[in-house]
Amino acid sequence: MTHLLRRLAGVIPLVLGIATIVFFVLSVAPGDPAALYAAPGVSPEALDQIRRNMGLDRPVHERYVLWMGDMLKGDFGVSFARGQPVRDVIFQILPNTLLLSFCAMVLAFTAGVLIGVLQAIRQNSALDGVLSVLSLFFYSMPSFWLAIMLILAFSLYARNVWGWPISFPASGMTSVDHAFMSPGAQLRDRLMHLVLPSASLALVLAGGIARYMRGSMLEVVRQDYIRTARAKGLPERTVILKHGLRNALVPVITLLGLYLPFLFSGAVFIETVFAWPGMGKLMVDAYFQRDYPVVMAGALIFAVIVILGNLIADLLYALVDPRIRYG
Amino acid sequence: MSRDLSDPTATRPLGVALLLALAVASCGDPDARAMSGMPEFCQNVLPSVEAHLAALPTPGGERYGGTAVVGGIGEIPDGMNSLVSADHGANQHQIFMNLMTLLRANGDLELEPYLARDWELNEDLTEVTFHLRDDVVWHDGEPTTAHDVEFTYLRATDPNTGFPNAAFWDHYVGGADGVEVLDEHTIRFRLTPHAELLDPWRSTAILPRHLLGDVPPDELRQHPFGTRCPVGNGPFVFQEHRQDESWSFVRNPGFPEELGGPPYLDRYVYRVIPEQTTLLTELLTETVDVYVAPLPDQTPQIEASEALELRAFPFRNYIFVGWNSRRPQLADPRVRRALTMGTDRAEIVEALFRGYGQVANAGVPPFHWAHHEGIADALPHDPDGAAALLEEAGWVDRNGDGVREDAEGNRLEVSIRFNSDRTRQEIAEIMQAQLSEIGVAVQPEVVEWATLVEQITSADARTFDGVVMGWVTEFKVDDHDLFHSTKSEQPYGWAGIGNDRLDVLLDTLQLVVDRSEALPLWHEYQELLVELQPYTYVAFPRRLAGVNRRLQGVEMDVRGEWVSVADWWIPADRR
Repeated sequence: MTHLLRRLAGVIPLVLGIATIVFFVLSVAPGDPAALYAAPGVSPEALDQIRRNMGLDRPVHERYVLWMGDMLKGDFGVSFARGQPVRDVIFQILPNTLLLSFCAMVLAFTAGVLIGVLQAIRQNSALDGVLSVLSLFFYSMPSFWLAIMLILAFSLYARNVWGWPISFPASGMTSVDHAFMSPGAQLRDRLMHLVLPSASLALVLAGGIARYMRGSMLEVVRQDYIRTARAKGLPERTVILKHGLRNALVPVITLLGLYLPFLFSGAVFIETVFAWPGMGKLMVDAYFQRDYPVVMAGALIFAVIVILGNLIADLLYALVDPRIRYG
Repeated sequence: MSRDLSDPTATRPLGVALLLALAVASCGDPDARAMSGMPEFCQNVLPSVEAHLAALPTPGGERYGGTAVVGGIGEIPDGMNSLVSADHGANQHQIFMNLMTLLRANGDLELEPYLARDWELNEDLTEVTFHLRDDVVWHDGEPTTAHDVEFTYLRATDPNTGFPNAAFWDHYVGGADGVEVLDEHTIRFRLTPHAELLDPWRSTAILPRHLLGDVPPDELRQHPFGTRCPVGNGPFVFQEHRQDESWSFVRNPGFPEELGGPPYLDRYVYRVIPEQTTLLTELLTETVDVYVAPLPDQTPQIEASEALELRAFPFRNYIFVGWNSRRPQLADPRVRRALTMGTDRAEIVEALFRGYGQVANAGVPPFHWAHHEGIADALPHDPDGAAALLEEAGWVDRNGDGVREDAEGNRLEVSIRFNSDRTRQEIAEIMQAQLSEIGVAVQPEVVEWATLVEQITSADARTFDGVVMGWVTEFKVDDHDLFHSTKSEQPYGWAGIGNDRLDVLLDTLQLVVDRSEALPLWHEYQELLVELQPYTYVAFPRRLAGVNRRLQGVEMDVRGEWVSVADWWIPADRR
């Protein structure tokens, strides 16, 4: 617990440092948030007033002090482009990203670990070869392209061309009549909408995880304790799943810490393609609109999530490897 | 003492709890989330809207029922707050769905009564008096009165609001001196006579004073009214906004019969689908009824589907290449005319817009009463004529390298900037290829949007030669900010052409009330633009929409995609 608290305490200056750097980098970037409203007929005076209403007439150091003060009180300001408090915007968007990332992560690790283990125990077989090609295929594929292909196949062609009994929604988190469905139908509707976006994210990740898992498992099955386990007559299933898998998972867990921020920020293409209102797209839009308050808040959240990702990975190390202790 | 995390029995619950927390946080019911996050203003307002709606009878009839889904690539910025928004989609949802304007345009673009039952102008056109309907109520049950109109006008003309379209009322007397409420349903405004003097009342939706009257003007932009809980008085009642995802509206059963009565649709949903391939898929799989502004490339697939129809209608926008005449090589209008004549604009319309559009020659769109057909062939695609013009202006290929030089040996090089829009990029590239044939070296340059806007609007950073852009005009065309010599150093004076006659025309055109008197001046103005060529006007693209045939009563024209939304209906067997 002390370790945990120490780690968490170290997060604070790191996050504040990141926030400060992002603030000043943004303030020197070209572009003007009021330009959203710029058009002929919109007078320079009106634009100046819009800037004043956004608080952009103050000098940058003053804005920084104000922003930092408000932020420490939990107030992230008001989004320039959305006219809503940033807290409200994030409150609406963040859970969507958490849902997608969580499902993609579970799918990716389940599939990746399973494929990696299968390949390792059937090393050099035809199955190993086929799975290697498949995982390399998905690993090297741009996820947005995969996303569009999945939409065309499982949404458009499945319904309009092949006439499959089931096709998946191409976009959105729920159907438009979601609110009028029974609870069971609502759950099914949510799951159906999750399938293609989480598969697009997960397939690419699973390819990588499978490669790691295969290597790690092959390393482990050559260890003495595996030979010992087999020698004492344990069934192969127990040898692999209990003795092998648990040890082979340690390096793969490192990937969890690495992939979590990717899922949050790198999912922007997936969010765009599937019209999934998530953090990645929010941040990119906010940057292009020079919606500084949202960019700042988003950067902070990303920083926290990266750090949390690593923390979770550390905790999971301890979970799978009894030799690792945090005191 | 610290807990030993190496004990698996100790860590497992912790790990599982972390994952569970993540899952629960992610999978929470969005409706519950939306309600718990509602600002206090909305928590007060929404119950009265619900109570008012519950007391109204549901209209009966075979056309009533169903949900229509419209998909577009962007959010509705600033939502239903008409005082802070300038976006086309937002304005359409405000004036045709959730709110009301005093006047509306009919199919011939003539103004007709809407919230105003009628109006009168005094003889010298310095006062306009509106008589409002007395049967329109806000969706929370409060009556809509002249005080709401007065409030909207005062805020719109208050500089502190930062209303982007404040220039609508440039010829009105701003503030309290310009408006007088004569009784609950009669209001008078003071103005100086000018062209299209009633037009602002067609495009600016009235807002409720009883809800927003206490909000300081400079805080209107961030008020939750706009995007969290708008309360309108139009045919559709706001139901829900999911950030970056959707807007839902339901029928207003109390909408006055004289204005068409309650809409046929039970519900209308606008979905934000940023990727156009996905949006097309949703249209083709019939989960979206209307795809707003599909890419011209996507039209064959829409046309091939029996369930869909493609709508193409005139719009208020045009695409152009703006020239910076401050640059030495672009200072001579003959050079600018040559650049236009060296470009095959008809081919651009055919190739990039698949024929959905027409070549533009000035900024007055074809639907507009002042559009000048006579200049259609003024600058045809004529590479030989363009080359002759360049030679006349002193640009000759003196060293045989294929690029013209002036007497001092400066090469005729022109950079054309654009943002990452594919059509704009292709226009610059086509111009590069075609203008190289007349000895002009064009360099296309892509620049990130916000940076590009800064480069062209800030007067001291105008180092660009040409920029591919598009404008959306109002029904009242006013190019004052673009070409008047006094605006040359202002954000939109990109061209920097100073011309006395052009100044006179720009000033006069805004003041001539009688269209028949103004028409010759408008024609002269457009002819002068052809001569001066501040822009190479490329095209007036037609607006496109993919519409599912199950949706009936859909009219789309230059007034917008949503002009007939209150009359959309779905046959009972296709709901």
